[in-house]
Amino acid sequence: MYYLIILLVYAAVDAMACLGLSQQFGVAGVTNFGFIIFQAAGAYVAAVLALPPDTANGGFQSYLGGFGLAFPLPWLGAAVAGGLLALPFTFLVGRRLRGDFAAVGLLVTAVLMNLLVMNYRPLFNGEAGVALVPAPLRQGMFVATSDRYQYGFAIGGIALTGVVFWFVRRITESPYGRTLRAMRDNDKVADSLGKNLVALRTGALVTGGAIAGLSGALLVSVIGVWSPAAWSYAETIVLFTAVIIGGAGNHIGAVLGAVLVPVGFEEVTRFITNNNPDLPPNLLPSLQWVAIGLLIVVFLWVRPRGILPERRRMASPRPAGLGAGGAASAGPAGGTRAVRADQAGAADAPILRTSRVHRDFGGVHAVDRVSLSIGRGTLTGLIGPNGAGKSTLLSLLAGTEKVSGGQIEYEGRDITSLPAYRRARLGLVRTFQLASEFKRLTVMENLLSAVPGHRGDSFLGAVAGRRYWRADERQATVRAYELLDSFGLAEHADDYAGDLSGGQRRLVEIMRALMAGPDMLLLDEPLAGVHPALARRIGAALRQLCQEGMTILMVEHELALMDEFCDPVIVMADGAVLAQGTMASLRERREVVEAYLVG
Amino acid sequence: MSLLLASVGFGLITSAVLAIAAVAFTLQFAVTDVLNLAFAAVMTAGAFIAYLVNQSGYPVWAGLVAAMAACSLLSVLLNYFVYAPFQRRGSAPITLVIVSLGMALIVEFGTAAIVGGISVSYSMSQGSTVGLGGLVFTTVQLVIMAVSVLVMGFVHVLLRYTRLGKAMRATAANRMLARSCGIRASRVIATTWALTGALCGLAGTVFAIDVGSFDPSSTDIFLILILAAVFLGGPGNAYGAMLGALVIGLATEVSAAYIQPDYKYVVAFVLLLAMLAVRPAGLLGART
Repeated sequence: MYYLIILLVYAAVDAMACLGLSQQFGVAGVTNFGFIIFQAAGAYVAAVLALPPDTANGGFQSYLGGFGLAFPLPWLGAAVAGGLLALPFTFLVGRRLRGDFAAVGLLVTAVLMNLLVMNYRPLFNGEAGVALVPAPLRQGMFVATSDRYQYGFAIGGIALTGVVFWFVRRITESPYGRTLRAMRDNDKVADSLGKNLVALRTGALVTGGAIAGLSGALLVSVIGVWSPAAWSYAETIVLFTAVIIGGAGNHIGAVLGAVLVPVGFEEVTRFITNNNPDLPPNLLPSLQWVAIGLLIVVFLWVRPRGILPERRRMASPRPAGLGAGGAASAGPAGGTRAVRADQAGAADAPILRTSRVHRDFGGVHAVDRVSLSIGRGTLTGLIGPNGAGKSTLLSLLAGTEKVSGGQIEYEGRDITSLPAYRRARLGLVRTFQLASEFKRLTVMENLLSAVPGHRGDSFLGAVAGRRYWRADERQATVRAYELLDSFGLAEHADDYAGDLSGGQRRLVEIMRALMAGPDMLLLDEPLAGVHPALARRIGAALRQLCQEGMTILMVEHELALMDEFCDPVIVMADGAVLAQGTMASLRERREVVEAYLVG
Repeated sequence: MSLLLASVGFGLITSAVLAIAAVAFTLQFAVTDVLNLAFAAVMTAGAFIAYLVNQSGYPVWAGLVAAMAACSLLSVLLNYFVYAPFQRRGSAPITLVIVSLGMALIVEFGTAAIVGGISVSYSMSQGSTVGLGGLVFTTVQLVIMAVSVLVMGFVHVLLRYTRLGKAMRATAANRMLARSCGIRASRVIATTWALTGALCGLAGTVFAIDVGSFDPSSTDIFLILILAAVFLGGPGNAYGAMLGALVIGLATEVSAAYIQPDYKYVVAFVLLLAMLAVRPAGLLGART
């Protein structure tokens, strides 16, 4: 009986940990190979907060602190400790480091921390760890050994897991959760849409760390000992196995994985005892680890999305009464910025100006001292042969890449050193040449993810709940349906963006950029792969947007479109600006024709 | 002999051993695009193969050759049956890292299941000691350093002057482009696995000789030292790995002389994290 109760508590601990890990790995795409140290830290803090000072027990074990605090406090402390421990690691998961490199950094951290704790006695009492951790609420109303207490503990643990489940779900199903998933699918693009990757990843690390810490507190309270040997880095892999098998990003899947792998697998094999003296004593534990390894590899091959794959989020139905009317477009995605644009000085001043901007790759001058200015409300074309530096220039303007030298001014403000997401928040939004939809978000979610200033698009807004952000979501949905209608993609609203055709994906990207409510759009070959008839309609639509006050700089190879819609047109070759003027005037100029039009 | 000098001596040996493993790991990553976290597990398996050969009465050098052959084969098989299929399917880099971690468990604990969890050491003589400008080495240690220098020279010549080396560099730079230039990328990749696998077996055996006794769980410490050296120098850069190994080897051993020896790996770890944070491309990597 006692065993069953312990098993239930273990299930709660593992389910909680898997929910935290699934939130980091499955939802936010942060691969934390050091997850177990957050659980260990939470457990240790819970232990020392609950224990009396270590001088009280005759010095048979030493530990930090020893505060003898009453029940809920050690657990709260554990969650706080798990969350705080995440902060020093945020530099690893920041904007610059590849996800797999950051994962390696966290793995090394986990291995090393364990090694240190095990071998260096003074700090955490070495391999012996900490024992005799008091169970919560043991004194007073409950008798610790009674069945009732044990049952109560198990039920309490499961209830707490339920609370964690509710919490991660609330976050994931909010616009903030959508942003996390967008970052997971393509962080560079999320950056270019004004999402602060460092803050988002820090949030995921801290949330997951706090949940891990809480699960550690639960565990240490039930078994009463904190032993560093139980927190080896390999335990993280067990949790990863559980999340992968259950279905990364699916919270019910995380719980299922926890029951199947750490609980079912490890605990059940406990019954298979090794009675054969001819076999080496640690054969079975070793084979157990081999099996975990096999499970990971086989599952990632056979069913990479897990038993319960991430759910597809269906768009809310078209809000009634606000059909295709124009009034609704002044929502969070609509005209908010137009007001600010008027404030930014004279209307005839250029919106964007660069002076001697350049960018080197090794010895190659990809962009060579480009000085240009883009007039407000123009639809400017940017053409040039392959390798002329058009896309690189766009990346420099949007902040996706850093300049090697020179200066960029936007709305009269020096933005040269601003990161991409800050530029996007100022209304300077780009699209990418290569397909850059958020693959595992639906078309509707792709569009909604770009909305700036959404009340639900922050951690606190997500915690505040649907009621707090419902109005914004509704307005954004209306605006998204308008765009989908005008681009003829309304019936694909609930399709995964990754399943669309190449041309359709280009359209999703343009619509998404428009949802960001930009003052200036940087489009990198937006019409490549789009049906010519549709391309002309979009060209006309873009020109219409410019007449309404937006500025567009567009790289495009289709010169007929340039002829029809763009004025002026800038020609680049070998990283430098060669000429600028109307398409007709450019055709007159020999060096332009030689560089591009004929060749 | 001063403490500093002695620790520098230890550091040089550690560096020499580490350099072999780090260069092999980094070449593997550069050419095949697999951040192979099973590398250290394969190394340990190699060390045990050398041990088994050694136990059957053959000298440790015979064991070393056997370990090289076995690890080479194991690496090729790993790629053929596991990594290459995942790559062909277009799996994300992080998926491959997780797969390699799974393979690390399989190889490490597979080894443990076969040999047991016991700590073993080779039966061999360390040879007479030799004094070199204030540093004292055993003959075996000198041989280890010579082998390491030879391997570094071999890698340098391979990359700079041979057809295979150029094909490897081309494949590392851009696999598609290399393929369309007539380089048989899949053959180059298989050869790279064979070659780096052999170096992996060499490194495992030499590591085991250097540390004296080892067991399957030695894998963990091997792995973090290799990762520290590789990321310090710049992942994918062979010369970076050599430099990284030198820095990590010296830093851990010299610091061990002055601070708690238990904390010596912390130095490697701090160096690694600092590098990842400040300059992810590593010492010799291109600035981004």
